[in-house]
Amino acid sequence: MNEITLIIIICAFANYALRATPFWIKSRDMEGTYTSKVLELMPITALGALILPGIFTTYPDAPMAGIAGLAAAAIVAWFRGGLILPVTASIAAAWMALNF
Amino acid sequence: MFSFTGLWAKMNRKNDRPGTVQGAFDAIPIFLGYYTTSIAFGLLAINSGLSSFQAVLFSMTNLTGAAQFLAINLISAGSAMGEIVTSVAMLNMRYFMMSASLAKKLGLHSIFSKILVPAAVTDEVFSVISFREGKTGTDYIFGLQSVSWLGWVTGTITGVTAGNLLPKTLQQAVAIALFALFVALLVPEVKRSTLALVLALSSGALNSFLHYVFHIPPGWSIVISMTATAGIGGFFIHRMIPVKAGRRQE
Repeated sequence: MNEITLIIIICAFANYALRATPFWIKSRDMEGTYTSKVLELMPITALGALILPGIFTTYPDAPMAGIAGLAAAAIVAWFRGGLILPVTASIAAAWMALNF
Repeated sequence: MFSFTGLWAKMNRKNDRPGTVQGAFDAIPIFLGYYTTSIAFGLLAINSGLSSFQAVLFSMTNLTGAAQFLAINLISAGSAMGEIVTSVAMLNMRYFMMSASLAKKLGLHSIFSKILVPAAVTDEVFSVISFREGKTGTDYIFGLQSVSWLGWVTGTITGVTAGNLLPKTLQQAVAIALFALFVALLVPEVKRSTLALVLALSSGALNSFLHYVFHIPPGWSIVISMTATAGIGGFFIHRMIPVKAGRRQE
C-alpha cells in the first residue's frame, strides 16, 4: 500500500478512537480538575500555534499577502462572525495582495 | 399542495422532537462552510502530492478540517508517519472532550448509535447540537451529520477535479483559507475574553521561536506549543481565577 494511503487510514482510526472512546467509557467526574482546565484551553492554544508562524511561511515571497488575508479574516469575523464570510474575504484580500 | 414557505416555516419551528429533515436543514450553513473550505483542501492536497483518490478518501474517512490541512502540509514537507499521526491526534484532542460532553448530554443507549454518532463529531456539529435547546434525538443528529459530511466530501471532489481550473494566483490565494478559518474560530473567543488572545499569542510566539530558532519540524513544534501553553495557562487559571475560557463552558 502507498505510504500516504496508510497515513490516511491510520489518521482515520486515530480520529475515530478520539471521538468514540468517551461514548463507551464511564466518565469520571473531571469537573474543576487541572487536567480539565488544560484540555479546555487546548483548542485556543492550538489555534495560536496554527496561525503563527504558518501565516508568514505560506507566502515566503509575498509576506504582505499573508498579513492582508489575516487582517481581512479577523475584521470580518469580528464584525460579522461566522466562518464562510471571513474565509471568503481573506481569500479575496490575499489574492489582491498577490496581484498588485 | 407543496408549499415552500410552509415547509420553511415548519423547518424553522423548534419542535419538541426534531427529526432527520430538521437536522439536515440545520446543517445547511455547515454544508456551505465545509464545501468551500474543502475545495481548498482538495486543491492543496493535489499540490502536496496526494492522488485524487487519496484526497477524497481522506475527507470521507477523517472529516476533520484543520488536521487534514496540517497532515497534507506535513506530507508535502516529507515528515515521518509517526510525526504526522501524532500531530493529527494531538490537534484533534478536542474531539475527545467534545464527545465526552455529547455522551453526557445525549445518553445514547443503542450500540448502533454509539458506533455511528462519534464518526462525525466536528467542531460545528458539536456546537449545533450543544446549543440546540430541548431534547435532541439520534434522528436529528444523523440528518445534521450526513449533510455536513456530504458538504466536506463533495467540496473535496470539486477541489480535486475542477480546482486546477482556477488561475495560479487564485490557487495561491486559496492557501490562506486554512488560516482564515483558524482566525474566524479564534475571534469569538477573543471577543469573550482577553485571556484567549493572551493564550493564543503566547502559543504562537512559542511556536515561532521553536520554528525559527531551533528549526523543530512543524508537527512537533505545534504539539509542544499548544500543550505547554495550555499547561502553564491551566496552572495559573486553576490556581488563581475560576475563568471560563473554553467555548464548551456555555
